[in-house]
Amino acid sequence: MFKGACAIWRRDMLVLRRSIFSEMAAVVAYPLTIYLAFGIGMKGYIGLVDGVPYSLFIAPGLITMTAVNAAYSESTWSLWFHRKVQFTIESYRVTPISVSEIVIAKILSGFSHGVVKGLAVGLVIFIITPFRFSPAHLLAYLAFLIPGSALFSCAGVICGTIMDKPETIGRVEAIFIMPLIFMSGLFFPLSSYPADVMPLVRALPTTALFEGARHALVSGVFPVDFALQVACTAMLTFGAAVWIFRLKMSE
Amino acid sequence: MATAAITIRGLTKCYGNLTALDGFDLEVDQGTIFGLLGPNGAGKTTLIRILTTLMRQTSGESFIEGLDTRSSGREIRRLIGVVPQENSLDRYLTARENLELHARLHGMEPRHYRKRIDELLDLMGLADRQKDFPDTYSGGMQRRLVVTRALLHEPHVLFLDEPTTGLDPQSRRAVWDYVKSIAGSMTIFLTTHYLEEAEQLCDRIAIMDHGKLIALGSTQELKDHLAGGTYYLIEFGEDAERYGALLRHMDCVRQAEVNGNSVCVGLESWECLSEVVTALNGAPVRRIALREQTLEDVFISLTGGKVRG
Repeated sequence: MFKGACAIWRRDMLVLRRSIFSEMAAVVAYPLTIYLAFGIGMKGYIGLVDGVPYSLFIAPGLITMTAVNAAYSESTWSLWFHRKVQFTIESYRVTPISVSEIVIAKILSGFSHGVVKGLAVGLVIFIITPFRFSPAHLLAYLAFLIPGSALFSCAGVICGTIMDKPETIGRVEAIFIMPLIFMSGLFFPLSSYPADVMPLVRALPTTALFEGARHALVSGVFPVDFALQVACTAMLTFGAAVWIFRLKMSE
Repeated sequence: MATAAITIRGLTKCYGNLTALDGFDLEVDQGTIFGLLGPNGAGKTTLIRILTTLMRQTSGESFIEGLDTRSSGREIRRLIGVVPQENSLDRYLTARENLELHARLHGMEPRHYRKRIDELLDLMGLADRQKDFPDTYSGGMQRRLVVTRALLHEPHVLFLDEPTTGLDPQSRRAVWDYVKSIAGSMTIFLTTHYLEEAEQLCDRIAIMDHGKLIALGSTQELKDHLAGGTYYLIEFGEDAERYGALLRHMDCVRQAEVNGNSVCVGLESWECLSEVVTALNGAPVRRIALREQTLEDVFISLTGGKVRG
């Protein structure tokens, strides 16, 4: 059943492999600039946050941000481009594969982009900083990075499916995706929020993702509730992405 | 009796208040080249989208080799090849990679598709450029690559949706030659704006407008249906208007159109010509020539002379 999905995913990975160096330069540049500017530049002014140096505090979030951003962008733009510009989705649809296989392939591709690019940024941060993590911490961190990338890949597929204009995709990124990422405790501890808004912030899957990822990587604590929240949201978004894509294709 | 390649019964497709297909009936025999003509917005693309399982009808039935397009989508897509209006090639893959991806989507084994790709690339004259990206191809080469892709899995029914639109005359001829060369080995269902293309390639032609079938037959049958006889061009030395009026009043003359010194006369049948010659006794006739009806005459008379957007 998944031969078709596998063929499309292989195609996407071939294209990624071809452009890996140019893509990586762009992908690594942004979080690295933030890391150097805030983590190192502001280190002397901020000191310890939640008991760890600020540069260490923001490192897991920057890696996660790179991964989820890459997953979201790849899914959204790839789907939109293949649907509206290149019409390749239509050429897939006249072969014996199902619509579900196409959308699953696109989710997998977005997810793969996210994981590969997130790990690349992680590697660069590992090289330029003295912080070292135990393999157990890294495994616990992957338990957030993987479903987080899947979640954002599914969200990207939904956007790439329902939005026909590229400018709308850009707006969604600016109005929803970036605020969700930045307000989830990427650069500051959640305790900075007023107590009244805390339940709302904690209910966000992005909070579970960024907070959980940080706890897992920095202190080796595995917050099960956060991990479950991310995994469940990813599964729900997966179902929604497949359903919306099938609905759009049947129009 | 062999199952028809395509069977359509009372097919209707509505988009809100707009009826794109209106009780459309058609049958296409296996191994034939069938042409579907119609002005823009006639419903051709909607029909192809339903037949290729990309879209569902509002009502009616359609079958490909006896398989229902509503319930046997996957099986049908194994049997068909589609050349869409847009090239839909993947610009990030080389020509060969485009074909390999398509073969994998059809579940072909590498040892089969590698050989088949080599054969087809050779046949289509693209073997030397197989490692290049489609963006570097000319329009004609891109079209040939799309046709190659559609033929890769050896389909039983090939849908060609305006296959030569935008091609230069040489590339168009090359596509025609190829379509002719594969005629008989599969059923070809072709939509086109080029009437010459339909005339050159198709065994049978359907003309549709406003979602309905308005004419069906071979090129010659359609021409005969329109004229019911023959057209002659009569050139006069002078007074063409007067002789045109005289001819218009004759019983066996269906129409007489004056154009400069010439009158184009449509006769009920060729036997009427002697009557016309007798009526023109003494007139300054310079030349009488048989004017073949073209498919364009048929098309325009059935769909109206105006181009629709």
